[in-house]
Amino acid sequence: MWIRDSIRSIMGHSHSPLGRILLLSVYYLAIIAALIVMYGKGNFSSTEFVYQGF
Amino acid sequence: MNRHPHLWAAAAALLATAAGALAYTLYARYTENKYVHAVAAQDHSEISRGTAIDRAALKQPDLLLIYGASELVLLQTEYEATQFFRMYPTGFMVFNAATKGGSSLTVAQRLAALGPDLRGRRVIFAIGPAIMTMAPFGEVAQRHYAGNFSELHALELAFNPQLTLETKRLAARRMLDFPETLAGNPFLIFTIRQLAQPTPLSTLLHVLSWPLGRLQVAILHLQDHYATVEYIHHLSAAEVTVTREPRQVDWQALIDVAEREQIENTDSNPFGVDNSQWPKIKELFVSPLPPGTRDDDFINDVTIAREWDDLKIALRVIQELGADAIIMSSPMNVPLWETIGVSEDAQNTYYELLHSVVDPYRIPLIDGKEWGRIPYFSMDLASHASRKGWIYVDQRFDQIYHGALP
Repeated sequence: MWIRDSIRSIMGHSHSPLGRILLLSVYYLAIIAALIVMYGKGNFSSTEFVYQGF
Repeated sequence: MNRHPHLWAAAAALLATAAGALAYTLYARYTENKYVHAVAAQDHSEISRGTAIDRAALKQPDLLLIYGASELVLLQTEYEATQFFRMYPTGFMVFNAATKGGSSLTVAQRLAALGPDLRGRRVIFAIGPAIMTMAPFGEVAQRHYAGNFSELHALELAFNPQLTLETKRLAARRMLDFPETLAGNPFLIFTIRQLAQPTPLSTLLHVLSWPLGRLQVAILHLQDHYATVEYIHHLSAAEVTVTREPRQVDWQALIDVAEREQIENTDSNPFGVDNSQWPKIKELFVSPLPPGTRDDDFINDVTIAREWDDLKIALRVIQELGADAIIMSSPMNVPLWETIGVSEDAQNTYYELLHSVVDPYRIPLIDGKEWGRIPYFSMDLASHASRKGWIYVDQRFDQIYHGALP
């Protein structure tokens, strides 16, 4: 919540519409970056299994 | 702009993300193409469930791609193709994408995942008689299928516009036989189930889910690129150094040397089975049987094998994607099977069925039958190539690459 409040506080001081959009863009980019860090890494390694042959 | 700042900001953020993804993809492709020869010489099973490095390998004229199963990866020896060709002695190197526990169904998905990149490209699909002749019901083991299963490959097959709906449906039905690989992935389960059902509603739902499917595939490709670049960054300076040393290969001399080494490695038994494999199968040889006494069981087992249906799916994928593929089979280990009661005539059922399945697709088939009686060619009942067998296989790869075969 403190992040949201901080963003609102910064927005309140930004009187330029362009500055407001820029700050919001940075905010959304930060969210996307966090999602990528949390969920972005895939696993393409063969699962470890004991090959027992035939 | 003043009235909808969130909308503009979200659009800008999404645009920046898309641009970043595109830039990273270009960088990853550059890195993969630059280092694919180095990766070819390494054990790259760490990234084998992706497609990025396979696509890079497909573009290289001096790399011969090989897909298949354990017949081509089980024995660690200097004669194994990756080791043998690592210095490009005759002008090329193999990119061995065969995996332990691989099967026709996993290869079908892996090839499907390459999509249009496969068109006109030479690949070898190495198969062997082991699953058809030894696995219960000729079915790939659940643990082996699960070990090789890839969400990316499966979704690429499901949302591949080059493949016919019938091919995708046949594959989807078989994929449903391995539910543990789909568990925990609701979108994948939904996709495979809709594909498997031949109703108009299921087809419609599959078509409607197409954009979501392609989006998921795009995300998986980005993850694949990241994993591949990370893999490359962890290679040492020595590992990324590719040395090319052309030389004349005396195949017969190599066969003689490899045979001597193989004989030294079979001193635990009188049947020519490699010492590493003997403990697994020695009980079968406690009471050898006269050839012919187990023919009926063998013929029944090989005839009902489900692997044949999976091979047809892989052949359909190869044909529909326009790959310049060659099917190359390992031979039956004729003397060893005779020792446990299966005559050579009965063993030939494998080759007859193999031709009856492959020939209609007009894809070149090298069945390997002439290797079946060569002493010490295979190191066990499952036709895993021995040290000596590998020299023959290497020579065949060389002939295929240089256009002497098929």
